[in-house]
Amino acid sequence: MLVGIPLEQSNSAIKPKECAVEMSEYLVAVAEHRCKRSFARVFNYFAPRLRSYALKQMGNEALAMELVQDTMSNVWQKSHLFNAEKGSPSTWIFTIARNIRFDMLRKLQNRKEDVCSDDLWPVLCEQTADLNEAPLDEQVTLEQIGHLFEALPDKQQTVIESIYIDGKSQQEVADELDIPLGTVKSRTRLALQRLKGMLQDSE
Amino acid sequence: MIRFHPHTQQLESFVEGSLSPAVSILVSAHCDMCSHCQRIVEIETERLASSLFEDNRVSEPLFSPDFDNMLAHITQMPSAVHPDHPAQSRHHKPRSHNKERSASTIELDGRAFTLPRTLRRYADKTGNWSSLVGKLWQAPVELGNQGVANFIYMGPGGSVPEHTHRGTEYTLVLDGEFSDGLNNYDTGDFIFMDDQHTHTPRADKKEGCLVFSIVDQPLHFTSGLARLLNPFSHLFFR
Repeated sequence: MLVGIPLEQSNSAIKPKECAVEMSEYLVAVAEHRCKRSFARVFNYFAPRLRSYALKQMGNEALAMELVQDTMSNVWQKSHLFNAEKGSPSTWIFTIARNIRFDMLRKLQNRKEDVCSDDLWPVLCEQTADLNEAPLDEQVTLEQIGHLFEALPDKQQTVIESIYIDGKSQQEVADELDIPLGTVKSRTRLALQRLKGMLQDSE
Repeated sequence: MIRFHPHTQQLESFVEGSLSPAVSILVSAHCDMCSHCQRIVEIETERLASSLFEDNRVSEPLFSPDFDNMLAHITQMPSAVHPDHPAQSRHHKPRSHNKERSASTIELDGRAFTLPRTLRRYADKTGNWSSLVGKLWQAPVELGNQGVANFIYMGPGGSVPEHTHRGTEYTLVLDGEFSDGLNNYDTGDFIFMDDQHTHTPRADKKEGCLVFSIVDQPLHFTSGLARLLNPFSHLFFR
């Protein structure tokens, strides 16, 4: 059991470069031998730092600790995916934490897994996303709307065409057709209502 | 050649994970196609990780007793590598088997377009192609609460009616070229438009042009027959 291994103070004094080399070696030892002692070194260095990052991001101790735990669990279980040639341990662990945070926030906002971190930053590529197929509504096309438009009564067509296609004002249309402005307004409203109704029916 | 890239600020927010998910998809897909931005993202990731985890001047909180339990708990978890096949770990190729279930291409009119990695998952979530006007085709992609994105294909000579934007429109050119009266765009270009821009996208080359586009508000058509669409544009391009 590794419970009780003391936090090694030397960790906080070493230079970043040396630290990266040292941590890389530990991660390789974890990947190859499931070395708990090496993992404890990595854990003792990163867990407190992750916690302070997580606290800033999540603003809540419980969520912050959940983020630390999920991140370090992934480091333990997927250390074979770490590649020192691609980047430092800090970078790898940061990307894992960032991805978990992204997914946690999506979840907290009650979003479905519409966008998941694995698509954006494939760090832990073994993970697969759920493919939840959403049925898509029928689309309306410009041609369809053209047909619907033709189904409008002639008087409404004239008004709609003048306003939306020719870009005339309602007053201009009233003057041209020699009808009251109120009539133009009501015809426009009725026509749009009718088009909307037909569009909804056609869905 | 790619001439239009996301802003540095957008790339930084993308790395932080603070950019909106919908825009993140486009930035990520752009980076799949653009080695320049890919490199910036790598550098920025290293810089951020280093500032977060390698700065020893930052005073760390006291070691929590919870950490002892957490460490013990974690090291009792099995490895993700199946113990019966330890060799798998050495020969594991990132992004292999499982991911490949998602289609890497999208098809239209007998042509198959290869998608950037980020968009592959959405190939499965893409609805049917529908014709909007003449040579313009659209297939919607459901993004849940993020709204709807669209693959839009402009056939040779195809054009989106002149419009402006009430919100923002992000477009990534996936295959081909198009122009919009403001600029000419090539494969890989990342285009941002808002209410300051009125444009008429049009593809003139015989290959046509496939783009991926996200708008947060319906477009506002500014001329011709298309104005008739405005009361309903939320049903079309959104």
